[in-house]
Amino acid sequence: MLLGDCGSTWTKMLDTGTGRYEIIQTREMVRRTDIFFDIATGHSARKRCDLFRNELISLAQGALSLVETDDFSIIDVGGRDVKFVEFEKRKVKRLDWNLACGSSTGATIELLGSYYEVDFTDLDPSERWINVTCGVFGMEKVLEHVSTGTGAEEAVAMFLHGMVRNVYDFAGRPPVIYLSGGFCENNCFLKTFDSYCNVIPLGRMVPLEGLRSEERLSGNNV
Amino acid sequence: MIPIGDSRLIGYYGFPRRCLIAGVREDLGPDLELVDLDIDHGAPDSGLLPVTTCRIISNIMNNAILLKDRLEVIIAAVGEGKCDRGRNISFLLKGMGLSVIESRFCEEEWEDRELVFSTGMGTLAGRIDRIMASVTDPSISSDQPPKCLPTHGFWGVPPNDYRILDLFPPTTHLYGWIRCVEAGRPSDMALESFVDKQVPTVFFTQSFCAKQDLAHYLAEKYGGIAVDCHREINDSILAKVEAFIALS
Repeated sequence: MLLGDCGSTWTKMLDTGTGRYEIIQTREMVRRTDIFFDIATGHSARKRCDLFRNELISLAQGALSLVETDDFSIIDVGGRDVKFVEFEKRKVKRLDWNLACGSSTGATIELLGSYYEVDFTDLDPSERWINVTCGVFGMEKVLEHVSTGTGAEEAVAMFLHGMVRNVYDFAGRPPVIYLSGGFCENNCFLKTFDSYCNVIPLGRMVPLEGLRSEERLSGNNV
Repeated sequence: MIPIGDSRLIGYYGFPRRCLIAGVREDLGPDLELVDLDIDHGAPDSGLLPVTTCRIISNIMNNAILLKDRLEVIIAAVGEGKCDRGRNISFLLKGMGLSVIESRFCEEEWEDRELVFSTGMGTLAGRIDRIMASVTDPSISSDQPPKCLPTHGFWGVPPNDYRILDLFPPTTHLYGWIRCVEAGRPSDMALESFVDKQVPTVFFTQSFCAKQDLAHYLAEKYGGIAVDCHREINDSILAKVEAFIALS
């Protein structure tokens, strides 16, 4: 059975028969006509699967399958949106989904990183931050900083810091937060977040785990 | 719906005082049809307002321009029961030569009508339409929906795009300005900010509407979600509401 989490920039796939995970760019997934999912979630998945699942529900179910704590919060920072779920006694207490200004999230960071050739593995966090009201305003601030003498890497780190503040506020400033999505692999983002709260990265496969746990519950024994 | 043809019309927006509506109808004759200018009737964009204008306000302007030659008068809610932009639009329309009667729904005229449709069972769209129809026809309905306990809540104003309403189960109660209209108290802040605490509620506003302040505050206070959209609902907003309803 092929499960898919088709985000706007990256598509995560799990073949439950072989246990093989694969990540490809969504633009490649869209081009490839041989990929069709049995169950899928994510913005780009609706017409590429037999069964479509809501992204926020998949995230919540994935979090419950991966985290054993009774009370916890998880946030998924994606290419164009941010999803948040807070659990109390393993029941959903609060959730939210920031859709309107998704340009402030992953896709913008990828653009900036690519443009300035920044390696996020080695990028040092910045104590300074810029106000990322939205991705476009944030990018303008980065360009302004660079043009007035701030190093490109520092400016990008400041943008990341601004994003972290937004994400932290969006989650209601919890003392501990589980992180889902591509930013789990961004060291600068994780280090910056650590200055606000204890962040525990769960990786990019949380929604896929949600789909898999749903299948287990339905008796398909995936 | 706008009556086809070139018949004369009475336009209104928001919830004007009932005595003003009755007075205008008496003066102009009961045959003149009333048209709610808040609703998207498919009028072309007037281009007269900033793009960051609440869709309901844009609808008022677009409809008024489209119907300019047919509108005998516009009864405009401009007080606390509407918003500052309702007042501004009244000023603009008068400046364009339209006849406008301003209405400020005062506390002394508040009513205490039974909340039949807000707390009844049935489709949200149908119940909201019935409530909004009560602005011009306050007679008691004979086919009232059965009462039910709320499983979910919808707070706010009638949305520009009704598709969001299809997501809610029939046991959803209505809160916010919609409930205020049914009660006959359009500027009652206490009633507008009331929700049943344990009921998972979606706090809906049009984007760029001042009620976003209330929606965000109440969503945070009661653990609901605030949702706003400009013009038409998109798939992402529908997915967010769908997830909230499923997980709450």
